[in-house]
Amino acid sequence: MIEVQDVSRVYRRGADEIHALEHVTLHIERGRFAALMGPSGSGKSTLLNIVAGLDRPSGGVVTVAGQRLGELSEDELAAFRARHVGFVFQFFNLIPVLSARQNVELPLLLTHLGKLERRQRAETALRVVGLAERADHRPSELSGGEQQRVAIARAIVTDPEIVVADEPTGDLDAKNAVEILSLLRDLARDFGKTVVMVTHDPRGEAYVDEIHHLDKGVLKPEAARA
Amino acid sequence: MKFLPLIWRNLLRNKLRTALTCGAIGLAIALVCLLLTMPSGLDALLNRVASNTRVVVHNEAGLVYPLPYSYLQKIRTLPGVVGAASWTWYGGVFEVEKGVTFPNFAVEPEAVGVVWEDWGIDAKQLEDFRRYRNAAIVGRGTLRRQGWKLGDQITLKGTLYPVDLQFRIVAEVPNDRAPFLLFQREYLDQALRAAGRGGLDTLGIVYLRVDDPSRVGPLLGQIDSMFRNSEAQTASETEKSYFASFFSMLSAFVTIILIVTGLVALCIVFIAANTASMSVRERLGEIAVLKALGFGRRLIFATLVAEAVILAGLGGAFGALASLGFTALLHARATTWNSSLGPLGSFIVTETILVQGLFLALFIGMISGVVPALGAARRSVASTLREVF
Repeated sequence: MIEVQDVSRVYRRGADEIHALEHVTLHIERGRFAALMGPSGSGKSTLLNIVAGLDRPSGGVVTVAGQRLGELSEDELAAFRARHVGFVFQFFNLIPVLSARQNVELPLLLTHLGKLERRQRAETALRVVGLAERADHRPSELSGGEQQRVAIARAIVTDPEIVVADEPTGDLDAKNAVEILSLLRDLARDFGKTVVMVTHDPRGEAYVDEIHHLDKGVLKPEAARA
Repeated sequence: MKFLPLIWRNLLRNKLRTALTCGAIGLAIALVCLLLTMPSGLDALLNRVASNTRVVVHNEAGLVYPLPYSYLQKIRTLPGVVGAASWTWYGGVFEVEKGVTFPNFAVEPEAVGVVWEDWGIDAKQLEDFRRYRNAAIVGRGTLRRQGWKLGDQITLKGTLYPVDLQFRIVAEVPNDRAPFLLFQREYLDQALRAAGRGGLDTLGIVYLRVDDPSRVGPLLGQIDSMFRNSEAQTASETEKSYFASFFSMLSAFVTIILIVTGLVALCIVFIAANTASMSVRERLGEIAVLKALGFGRRLIFATLVAEAVILAGLGGAFGALASLGFTALLHARATTWNSSLGPLGSFIVTETILVQGLFLALFIGMISGVVPALGAARRSVASTLREVF
């Protein structure tokens, strides 16, 4: 499902070069729940962005859902994300002026679905995350855990093969963090989604199928579990 | 259309800012619409005050230069001329110490009812004007201002001619804005003779009335040819063009106003662009999230520009309709309730002006939205997410 081959990412800051990733090779099977772990600045978010098609590597090849991302233009990459990737962010990143249902409907605006079908699918996704009764509430009227569940509903509403989550429990209390980790695990286990999560949270280790440790842009070779 | 609710919600995100920007654009568009009424409004005003069968003949050198009185008789004999009157400025002042004055002219009494038939002066009063040597016709505007009535006697002190004249008001011009006083030319002529100053052998201008509007054009040339190479060459023009020359200074003023209006519109572009930039800057994170979800650059660009266009369009519609309502109200008041507003009733926001105002507003919206939208659309998703979150 996700094939990362010899990927490097170099940022330039003035005259300096920052090697965020160095020759990373990684393979994640369909339906697996994978965690990218490591200290701050280790390159895990950079790797997640590259896998999700938000960023381009300086070298190497990335293949996701059978598509070599390097061959896609910016617009094609946007279309690829809309079709194949769902996103969950640390700070939920819901649109504050829209209700929970409208937030979940957002990715569906990029499809050819009619208004009614969009609404039905959004409600279904909210039901999956247990928030059907909060559909008409604005983000400011929801708790952090609820907002993150709305974000997960938004990530899965188009039925993508891959869900990427960047520190999804980073802004949540312990109870909500556990609920979100369970939900992400269910997406992989029950719905066959490939879930890639960047996390610092040690609780996450208990929920994931595999862990990939990064340090200073290099993937540690011993990472494997379950 | 499916993105419209998202655009609308974003517009309502900061209601005060949206309302203020909308108001600024609306005010500018209203101003532009009102100013666009000026050219046609002035034309309509001229059509109201000027007759299409009345011609003015004056000295080619300028209005301050007189013409020989003998010209009047020659003009009267031309085919198509149904009546002609001289119009000579007396320059009389009422209550010198208070500086009370109004335009006063010497005319031929028998010609007034013919040349200015459209003024609607009462026939009996006209008869009195012809009968009494010291009779005067006074415009209703001056009558009201001075508190005079028919039958009153007044004295004007001559400033151009060294004779003071006493008048009896026998007629009025039934128009609230008519300011002038007309009296018999012969009265001034005799007063000058009595004062040992000789007779009045010149005139200021000649007003004449033509039987058919189609004869006006040829007649203008005919009159000027008749006096070519004479001691005082003439310049003949329609009453409308004669009045228009008085508006020429005003039209220069209108040009300045239109330039200022253009600058105001430009300022509004900057204000709207600033609003759009602020709005985009505040939402960089959200825009990055939308892009992450798969919203392409073109779509992001289009929705942001649409937002600016809708905002400007709403402001423009509000402003254009407000100007339409304002001029319609003025027009209604001027024609029914308050005739002193008369000239203002000529300035009307037409459908064409309304459409021009709306298009200007949409153009302002588009221009103001393009730059910030382009910047937001081009920004890298990953770097924006890194910076913002």
